[in-house]
Amino acid sequence: MAAIIATTAATPADRSAHPARRSAVAGFLLALPPVVVIALFVGVPVILALAFSVGFTGGLNTVIAAVGQNVHRADGIVPSFGAYGDVFTTEAFWQDLALTLAVTVASTAIVVVLAGGIGLFLRLQGGRLARVLSAIAIVPLFIPVVIASWAILTFYAADGFLRSLLAQFGIEGPVWSYTAVAIVIGSAWTSLPFAVLMITSGLQSIPDALIEAARDAGAGTVRIVRTILLPMSAVPLVIAVTFTAIGVIGSYTVPYFTGPNAPTMLGVSLASYFTSYNQPQQSLVMAFVVFLAAAGIGALYVWANFRSARREGRI
Amino acid sequence: MKTPRLIASLAAVAAVGLALAGCAQSSSAASSTDGADKKLTVFLSADTNIQDLWQKTLIPAFEKANPGYTVSVDFDLHGLHDQQTVAKLTAATIQKKDPGYDLVDAGFVSQVAASGLLEKVSSSTVPGLKDVPKDLVTAGGNGGIPYRGSSVVLAYDTKTVATPPKTLDDLLAWIKANPGKFTYNSPDTGGSGQSFVTTVLDQNVSAADRTKLVTGSAPEVEGDWDKGFATLAGLNPYVYQKGVYPNGNNQVLDLLSSGQISIAPVWSDQFVTGRKNGQIPANIAYTQISDPSLTGGASYLGIPSASPRKAGAEKLASWLLTPDAQALVSDSISGYPVIALDKLPSAVQDLFKDADIANLRPAYFATTAADMNKAWAQKVPGK
Repeated sequence: MAAIIATTAATPADRSAHPARRSAVAGFLLALPPVVVIALFVGVPVILALAFSVGFTGGLNTVIAAVGQNVHRADGIVPSFGAYGDVFTTEAFWQDLALTLAVTVASTAIVVVLAGGIGLFLRLQGGRLARVLSAIAIVPLFIPVVIASWAILTFYAADGFLRSLLAQFGIEGPVWSYTAVAIVIGSAWTSLPFAVLMITSGLQSIPDALIEAARDAGAGTVRIVRTILLPMSAVPLVIAVTFTAIGVIGSYTVPYFTGPNAPTMLGVSLASYFTSYNQPQQSLVMAFVVFLAAAGIGALYVWANFRSARREGRI
Repeated sequence: MKTPRLIASLAAVAAVGLALAGCAQSSSAASSTDGADKKLTVFLSADTNIQDLWQKTLIPAFEKANPGYTVSVDFDLHGLHDQQTVAKLTAATIQKKDPGYDLVDAGFVSQVAASGLLEKVSSSTVPGLKDVPKDLVTAGGNGGIPYRGSSVVLAYDTKTVATPPKTLDDLLAWIKANPGKFTYNSPDTGGSGQSFVTTVLDQNVSAADRTKLVTGSAPEVEGDWDKGFATLAGLNPYVYQKGVYPNGNNQVLDLLSSGQISIAPVWSDQFVTGRKNGQIPANIAYTQISDPSLTGGASYLGIPSASPRKAGAEKLASWLLTPDAQALVSDSISGYPVIALDKLPSAVQDLFKDADIANLRPAYFATTAADMNKAWAQKVPGK
């Protein structure tokens, strides 16, 4: 490194400094609009919401504080955690949180197993069937979530297709509509396309030479998957897991349509607090809990990116 | 160090926002000179049958009868955002800004009437009011204009229920005797389920306390509900799928129509419309229970006092009270007419000769209902 700088710095330093600075400015300007938009329309509301949740009801929070019911106000500059107390002492909240986490874990596991299976099938076996399968797995991307949720609800209803079919053979089928099972099915359905795209492309990018060399050395399929394919596609796998989990943890449409009234997922619960019960402060407290959980999952994503960047020597 | 900068940037953001809002305001004011006071907007907070009533029936008829007027609709399904709408209306009225609509058809009209946000009406500004019974107009408060009535009734499947329950106690006993054959929608997603919950709670609420709950916010008497909620939670094992409460009035009607349940509370107007267009099969009938009865009442319109197009709104409101418009309401959604029956066509008179709209049991006040929805969600499902 030092040698390169020493040789180049000698002559064209004056001429190259200018374009470098200009491209830095251009880069900054290009990055500016999204940063400003996020700061204005996400950053500022988040700060306001955090202030409102601990009782700072002045300034831009005046209107929502005037409208909301059961609003706790800070005593001067001493924040009030009354809304947090309200939420954390409600038994229903803990049930909702438990259901949210359970549905997230179950849906993510199912999605990763399905997408991983399709990806491995395509990578190791290939052929027409594998390509058709991976194409079919993308279909949910093109069907609106509301319509898919409704279809799932009626498919697993007491008079739905599944039970009607089983009844032909004298079997009493399960009713999954309005249960957590239907939420998991719906969440897996909506999350599958992205995970399939991510994991199959990750597996496809692994060179054939590695797999063939391992085969020549006598490695079986299980060993190839375990020691070559999985480690080499770890980053796309982690990305698929984090995006699926974050998508499911904050979902609204699927649990609202297909899930039970209570316990329900926090997305539905906090929307009810905001609109139906008119308790914006308590709703925000729940939103921050979901935010924290999603941030925990997001940390995993950052860690995976960091690890791959370090391995490739970018940092 | 950082705080002043934050405040400064917030102020800048607010200033930009205000400037933009100002532009929007002035441009709409400029356009209002060229006959825009004949461009009316109606705000609806209701289910889809009321949306259809306005968009497919009432508005075309009004525009035909009054050339030059155009009416558009601003719709909030199930009134999910009622509290925010009230807040926006309050803010617009205080700041004397155009709220963006000129006539409101929503459950919260009596609430905003009590807060003085509506234009006061009389038969001099809205001539049609002279045909409406006085008590009905008075019950709407300052500025409420009754224009149709509906109530929640008990719909049942005649194939499976030979004699429907006659009182609330009969109904509760029937539910326990026939597990899985009854449900109601969660109260925050529709008025029919809300009415059933209200009615069960009312069994243990004194008349004086109930008056408080109906006419305003009364958190101090909400403790009266505990017994009723215990009754409702006790029904869980006997409700459809051991405690499933669907979202919205329509989902309950679907369950009833497909024979999955046998009895449910439904809106009278939605039921009759569904029967007429074939969504509800002929084997479903309806009845009313007593002690106490399911709630109902007149639906009120309001003209926001901040609206710059009040004259047009009064014209529309008055037209809605003509015999022609009342007959349209009755035909399309089977809404109870509010004007004296002898002014209406004889077919409509026959249909409603037994309906006593002035004596229906009103539902709770909007903020009270929000509290009830929350308490229900915490105390009933899954318990």
